[in-house]
Amino acid sequence: MNAASRGTTVAGAFTRLLEMLRPDLLRFAYWLARDRQVAEDVVQETLIRAWKSRDELKDPAAARPWLFTIVRREHARLFERKRLPTVDVDEVEALGDPALATDDAALLDLRRAILKLPDEYREPLVLQVLGGLSTSEIAGELKLTQAAVLTRLFRARNRLRTIYGLEPVEDVE
Amino acid sequence: MSAAAPECRQARLYIGADPHHLPADIAAHVEGCAACRRFREETLSLDGRVQAALELPLAQFRRAAVVRTRRFAMAASVALALLVAGGFWVFRPANALAGEVITHVEEEADSWNSRDTLPANQVDEIMRTAGAQFDSPYPVVYGYPCPFKGHRVAHLVVQTPRGLMTVMLIPHEAVRRRTEFARDGLSGVLLPAGQGSVALLTRDGAVTDAMADEIVSRVHW
Repeated sequence: MNAASRGTTVAGAFTRLLEMLRPDLLRFAYWLARDRQVAEDVVQETLIRAWKSRDELKDPAAARPWLFTIVRREHARLFERKRLPTVDVDEVEALGDPALATDDAALLDLRRAILKLPDEYREPLVLQVLGGLSTSEIAGELKLTQAAVLTRLFRARNRLRTIYGLEPVEDVE
Repeated sequence: MSAAAPECRQARLYIGADPHHLPADIAAHVEGCAACRRFREETLSLDGRVQAALELPLAQFRRAAVVRTRRFAMAASVALALLVAGGFWVFRPANALAGEVITHVEEEADSWNSRDTLPANQVDEIMRTAGAQFDSPYPVVYGYPCPFKGHRVAHLVVQTPRGLMTVMLIPHEAVRRRTEFARDGLSGVLLPAGQGSVALLTRDGAVTDAMADEIVSRVHW
């Protein structure tokens, strides 16, 4: 295989990788932005930036955290550039955002509860559960100590326990 | 829950933060503490629901275009041209699902051009996204969790001793019996697999029963 066709194969594999991870990038962007339009814009920018920086990704196994990091940065950049207003979660709920739609009423409640979590709890939770990042990776990503990440994740789940019909447990210091 | 002992509070912090990965000392405590064990079980159960909650359906999102190389853009154009030209296909498969499978594979004509074995983690990612488990007996040379009839399905091409074979794992469409089909140089078979189905297609000959049985036995939803 010559260099040109090898380059094409690598580019094709990278395109497939982006296509494969795009749904979760879109979900992650939505949970960050709590706005579909913003999420779509963030992912569009993310895909372009990822494509331009594809040589930086040495290990395909690291693609997911790498792309999630780009989503976070693009989200922050978009807010900084456009000075977007903060989304009122009650308004989102009142509008009955179809992005949350499901026939499962309990699941809908859980989605709304996640949407209402403060950013500092929601973001590490989404990075962990949807992004598959470890607590140390989240700490690196959010520039926090691992202890702080553990506390935030604990508190996020503790708030969701009641929605799931479970008794919350004693908070941690 | 009532006030817990310090070691239980510590355990619950770790469980609440990351119920799937506990440090050894915390895991040892949980093993011997019924209350913490129950807390972990509850949290794992909650986490399954949180995962489901976070995995939003994407039907409401417009499709963000993926940057494509010129080669893929050209392949897409060719596939589109084939689709348009195919409006007068004579053969109509009795089984609508078989027809949709063929159409899907023809739209993704580039899938037949891959030769390099995909890394296992990439295949795992496809399976995770498509909600299927498949321990392929053959090397997977192409894979993608494709949108198909409103769901994501695993669309693979595997290298068998008889040549390339497309494997589509369709968890949301049940078929009652084995159905063979052929069109436009593609031949294949639809097979029941639990509550779903598996479609196998080749370009150079029928799918043997042995191959079909082997593949279906390795599919789980």
